[in-house]
Order: sequence, then C-alpha cells, then structure tokens
Amino acid sequence: MKKYWIILLLFSGISAGQNTINALFDPGKVCRIEDGQLIFTLNLRWGEKEKKELTGLFDLDSLLLAGVYRGETEITFRGENWKVKKTGSGMVELYKPLDGMADGGTGKPQLYDLMDQWMNFRGETAEEQEVYGVNRFRLVNAFVYAGNLAQFYLPGFEKANRVYLAGSFNNWNTAATPMRFTGKGWITDLRLAPGKYTYKYVVDGRWTIDPSNQLTERGGAGTPNSVVFCPNHVFRLKGFQNAGRVVVTGNFHQWNPRGIAMNQLGDRWELPVWFREGTYVYKFLVDNRWMADPENPGTREDASGNLNSFLEIGEPYLFSLSGFPDARKVVLTGSFNGWDRGELVMNHTGKGWELPYVVPAGNYAYKFIVDGRWMTDPSNPFTTGSGETQNSFIALGANHIFELRDYSTAQNVLVAGSFNNWDPQGYRMVRKEGRWIFPVYLKPGKHTYKFIVDGKWMLDPANDLYEENQYGTGNSVLWTGQDSR
Amino acid sequence: MKFKLHIVACTVILFTLTSFQISEEVVISLPGDEVYRARMGEAGSMALFPLTEPDTDPVIIPLKRAGRLFLFDAMVDGESGNIIFDSGSKSVVLNSTYFRNRSKSVKVNSSGITGDVDQVSEITVSSLAFQGLEYKNLTVHLAGLGHIETKKGVKIIGLAGFNLFRKHETVIDPLNNELRLYRLDADGNRITKTPDFIPDEQQKIGGSGNILFLKGTIGDKQMNFCFDTAAETNVISSHSGKQVLNTLTITRRTTLKGAGQSTAEVLFGKMNDFSIGNHKITGMETVITNLSALTETYDTHIDGILGGSFLEHGTVCVNFVKSRIGISFTKENQK
Repeated sequence: MKKYWIILLLFSGISAGQNTINALFDPGKVCRIEDGQLIFTLNLRWGEKEKKELTGLFDLDSLLLAGVYRGETEITFRGENWKVKKTGSGMVELYKPLDGMADGGTGKPQLYDLMDQWMNFRGETAEEQEVYGVNRFRLVNAFVYAGNLAQFYLPGFEKANRVYLAGSFNNWNTAATPMRFTGKGWITDLRLAPGKYTYKYVVDGRWTIDPSNQLTERGGAGTPNSVVFCPNHVFRLKGFQNAGRVVVTGNFHQWNPRGIAMNQLGDRWELPVWFREGTYVYKFLVDNRWMADPENPGTREDASGNLNSFLEIGEPYLFSLSGFPDARKVVLTGSFNGWDRGELVMNHTGKGWELPYVVPAGNYAYKFIVDGRWMTDPSNPFTTGSGETQNSFIALGANHIFELRDYSTAQNVLVAGSFNNWDPQGYRMVRKEGRWIFPVYLKPGKHTYKFIVDGKWMLDPANDLYEENQYGTGNSVLWTGQDSR
Repeated sequence: MKFKLHIVACTVILFTLTSFQISEEVVISLPGDEVYRARMGEAGSMALFPLTEPDTDPVIIPLKRAGRLFLFDAMVDGESGNIIFDSGSKSVVLNSTYFRNRSKSVKVNSSGITGDVDQVSEITVSSLAFQGLEYKNLTVHLAGLGHIETKKGVKIIGLAGFNLFRKHETVIDPLNNELRLYRLDADGNRITKTPDFIPDEQQKIGGSGNILFLKGTIGDKQMNFCFDTAAETNVISSHSGKQVLNTLTITRRTTLKGAGQSTAEVLFGKMNDFSIGNHKITGMETVITNLSALTETYDTHIDGILGGSFLEHGTVCVNFVKSRIGISFTKENQK
C-alpha cells in the first residue's frame, strides 16, 4: 500500500512541476471583447488546476471546456453557440457573440448583489484572529482600564464643539458616545469587556485617529483605525530591580526570544496583556536568562522536558457525569475538540466523573464515551439533532434565550436560524415554567430565525421585527451584542 | 423574481494561482425589485429641507464604510441605525423591518419598469435626524433592506440620496470619509467664507431630479453615466458598442439564470481608456451588463454607472443652486 502512495506522490510532484512551468495563467489575459465577440484565449497545455480556475472565474462549464480540449470546433452548450479556432503554438480561441447579454436584462438590485459578491471575493472583509495584544500608548493616561471600565482621553482640540468616540465597541456609532471637555482635552468612560477594539474620535464630524496611540490597523474604509486592547491578564515578576531588560514569551508569541518587553514599576516588572480565551504556556527572559514564573504554580512540561508556566484564560466549565462507579474510562468528546475520542479523559470522583475545561464562548454539541459506549449527558435536557445524531448541547457564554410562550400541548419545538444554518433538526427547545426555552450564544450582529412547532414553521410571536424571505413568509430578526444598535 | 447565481467561490485566486479552490453553489434570492421601485419612486422624491441645523458651517457628516457602501448614523422616530448614502436614489427609503407597523399608503409610480405593477409603499415619519440636522414630517418609501443588512452585517434603517441635501453645497470626500454640507446664499455661493472647492472637472447638472449624470468618454465615444454612490463598482452597458467594449479587460464572467431559459450574462473587468474632462483614469473596476431595463427608468439614456470604483479617485462637489457638479481628482500623494 505504501508503495502506491509513493508513486502517487511522485506523480503529484511532477504535476506540480508542470503547473509551475505553465504558470502563464494571467486572468487578465484570458478573456477579451473584440468586435462583438466574447473571446477566451486558452492554452491547450493547461491542466485541471487551470481549468478549474477558468470555471471559477469565467463560469465556463467543465463540460464545455472538455469539448474544447477534445478538439471540437463548434459546441452548443446551454443554448449558447461557441466556436473554437486554433491560433498556433498550442493556443486556441473559444468565442461566441456577446449578445447573450440581451436575453435577460439585469435589473439594478441584481447588479448590486453581484457587486457585493465580487467585492467580498476580494477578501475586503477578512478579519484577523490574533490571540493576544499589548497596548502601545505614547501618553500614559490616554487609555486607562480597570475593573472592566475603560477611560479614553484625547488631549487638545480645545476649540471643538463636539467630540464623540466611535469604534467596534459601539458599532462605530458616531453619535452614541459623547466625550466631555475637561479644559485640556476630551474624556469619556465606558464599560468594556476584555478584548480587542478598534476606534477613532469624531471631532466636529471629522474622523480623527488617536494621536496618543501607536497601534493602528487598516479599517474597512481603507484608512487606519486606532487599536486598543482591554487586558484580561497581567504578567508580574517581582524583584530584578537591576535587570536591564525583562521580556515574556510563549506559545502565543511563537516562543520568539525577543519577547514582549515588560515595564519596570519600582520593585517589579509588569505587562498587561489581552488574551483570547484558551490555554497558553510562557516563560520570562531576564537579561536573556530563561525562567518560569516564580509566582505561578501552574507548570507544564514540554516534549524536551522543559518546565513552562501555564495559563488558562477564560472560565473553565465543569463537565460532569454522575454515577458509573465501575467504569474504567470516561472520555468527553464534542464539537469543541473535533470529536476527539481520547483527548479529554475525565477524572473519577466519589460521585462520578468530571473535567474542568476552558472553551471559548460558543454553542457546542458533546457526548460522553463510557468504556467505549457513546451517550448523551443525562443531566442536560438540551439537545440538538435527533436519533443517532442526537447530542447534548451546551451554550458556553450564553447571551440569549429563545423563548416561546404557550403551545403547552406541542410535542416537538425547535428553533432554527442563521446561527445554525437553518437546520430543521436544529436546537430542540425545552418546556419550562409554561414556556419553551433554548439558551444560546449568539455572536454580536444580526440573526434571523423561526420556531418549528410540531413541524410547522412560525415567526416569533413575541418579536415585532421580521423581514421578508424568499418564501414570502418572513423571518424573525434579532440583533445581539455590542454591534446591535 | 428569483435568480440562481452560480458562482464558484475562489476567494484568493485573483492573487495567487497556487491557492486551493473550493466550489460551491450560492443561491441568492433577490428581493430587490421592491427596493428598486422604492428608490426610483416619484412620490417621495421631492427635495427635503432640514428644520434644525447645527451652528457649524460646514456641517460634517462622518461616513462609515460597509464594503464600498457609504453609511451614516441617523435616528428616525427613535429608531437608530445606519442610512446608506445613495446618490442613485430619488427618495428616502426606510427598512420595512423597523417601520412596517406604520400606517402606509400605496402609490403607483409615474415611471417604472415596463410590464411590472410598479407600486411603492409610503409612510410618514415625524423626524429624521443626524449630526444636528433634523427633518420633520417626511413622506418616505418603505422597502425590505434586510438582505443588505445580512450581507454587510450592520443595521440599515434606510437609504437616502440628494433630496436631503439640495439646499447645501455637498462635498463627498471619500478620502476623509465625510460629507461636508456648506450653507449657500440665494445665488448658490457659500455663506461662510471658506476656501472654495476647486474642481479639476466641472459639469452642468441636467434636469431637476435628485439623480446626477456625468459625461465621460471611453474609446473616444462620449458616454452618459449615472453617478451612484450605492453602486460598489462602475457599470458599463453591454450595448455601448465595439469602440467602447474593445478597450476593456475582462477578468470575470457569470451567468444569471432567470425563469425558464432566460439568462443574463454579466462580465467584470477593468476600464483601460476612460476619461472625464481632461482627466484620464485607468484600471477602474467595472461590471459590464445589459442595462436596457434600467435606462428607461432614468428618463434619459444611460451608458453606465459611475460608483465606488470612480469615487476612489476623487472628491465630488454638488451644488444644486448653481446646477454644478465638480470633481477634484485625488493626487497620488494624497491616497
């Protein structure tokens, strides 16, 4: 078997080499309009990769291309009459009259949809996924954060009439967060959870980057926005007053020995950091000498036997299973770890089995594997899916509860929406205190949904907001989180 | 009307040939005809004037971007959210998701797409306010804008064009992401002494409507373009003739499939030979498609639309009192 794999690999290597040789594929040179004809210039040496690209970029069906590469000279495909002519040196031209466009008549809304598609194709809305961040302010009091309260200070602008703070924390609302004048500058306080935020000041209507903040990133408008991190961890190292440079590094920084510089504050070194929820290992470097955090008892040994300090960000959730005193091994598995069957071995306690586990906020399906037998969590009434695919469901960091009153005789009530891909087997609601409920974690933003009561789809009767859908029956609309209003 | 758009998602192919390619069929439901009728409805297209204005001159309205759409924050009868600045709209249109419970009347447009029952829902709102400007007792149109909200991920309460800004000289400044509204005297001159807008190109505004048209040339042919800030790229009519179409580079094509056998081909590419006045702009992205259905509704023939791709190249100043539209092109070192 191994032998065949090696042969396959060899072939794929050759194929890759061939592609490199044929790297003449310039999307800007494939298609042109000439005297009313839409003309594609194709290289007969192109392989499957280039053909796939042609299909993707130009909607040229693979069957049509197959005809071209078979040497056909006239091809009728989906009502369009294509012709092929050789132009020498392994090149052909595939062409047809452009007047195919006259058939449809594209209305304006459809055009906007297309433009939107093509704009998004270009990746303009891509979001970075940093795992940590450290602030870089020139002015110490330009940003102060303590106890989830953030204070922003913009010095100067004494002649301005109105200054607002707008950023990712208030959906860039230019009129929601006014600043007050202190005589020397403008100040505002707002409650912010730990995290990364981008912002600008709006001085008499004019977007203004924070002059005290050295951190910026390019925003959707193509111009820089200021970036601030609300920290959820402070690295501290006492002593070492005579050290010249103390840095921290770890898996979050690819163990880069240059590290992130800590600040000397009297008899200690400190660095406030924002971390995305998860597990991290780290060490300090004091004048290039490695050391674990002396005040952190949590350590983990790496594969080479080095002891690193260990840090969990986020509240661990305690998964537990009562009973099963005679079981030899109980494993927790779920969508949070790719349904790995062996990674999360639970600990045996006097009353059953448990495992504290840090998972970012989100909706998760899970099961226990008791001595090889898969089972849902008997203590959790919330499930998703049905039959063999029914799993226990948990919303960690739940920020919304779907609720449907009445329908006391209903047997099966589900909620489906944009958050679970409108899965009709989706989230099974539970009857509690005269209503059907289902708690979920919803990302900040817009969500559309419906209830399914004994197979019948319905709008949320308690929600006035709905929008039309393609069936003319409407979908309920819900905005959540910081980006809502 | 429902079109099925077959698109192969090849997100990064434009940038690298070695990218892995994922194919999927994207089905897009297009509820947009209602939006289109609401934008083009005559009933709500009268010029609107603010009853309250801030002391400052100019009034600066900070613009936000969603893709290449320009948005500004506004409050309509207590409902806050974003309004799309849409110079291609005759009227103010509010999102039915948030305003559907108002008492509404149905009006028939005097002009419209041939063959359609061209009705538009109208409501009256007490107040539309942003950046210290407040408009009272407005008659506006209603349409479902939920599909734009979903795609852009932001709350859209409506869209509005120049019928809000006819009293001022309006400068659309994409470089600084702001609209500047200057107060004018009866002759259309700025009341407060500020340096005048110095256009590189100036054209007369034709007609009396809220939609503006610009004359440009491609391949030496003079073209009439609609100026539309809500179009994320430019558009060129597929009926523009050989001398125009031969100058374009085509980088993408798709086929929209309508009811029955009907299809509409749409191309995407670059404009290599576009000029406006004495200024040449190369490399602007453009869609190429059949615009005949659209042309009828503008009361004038159009050869294309200048939208987001055009606005990347300059600042536009509109003065309805003087019937002038001017463009100051962004110099390379300003970008």
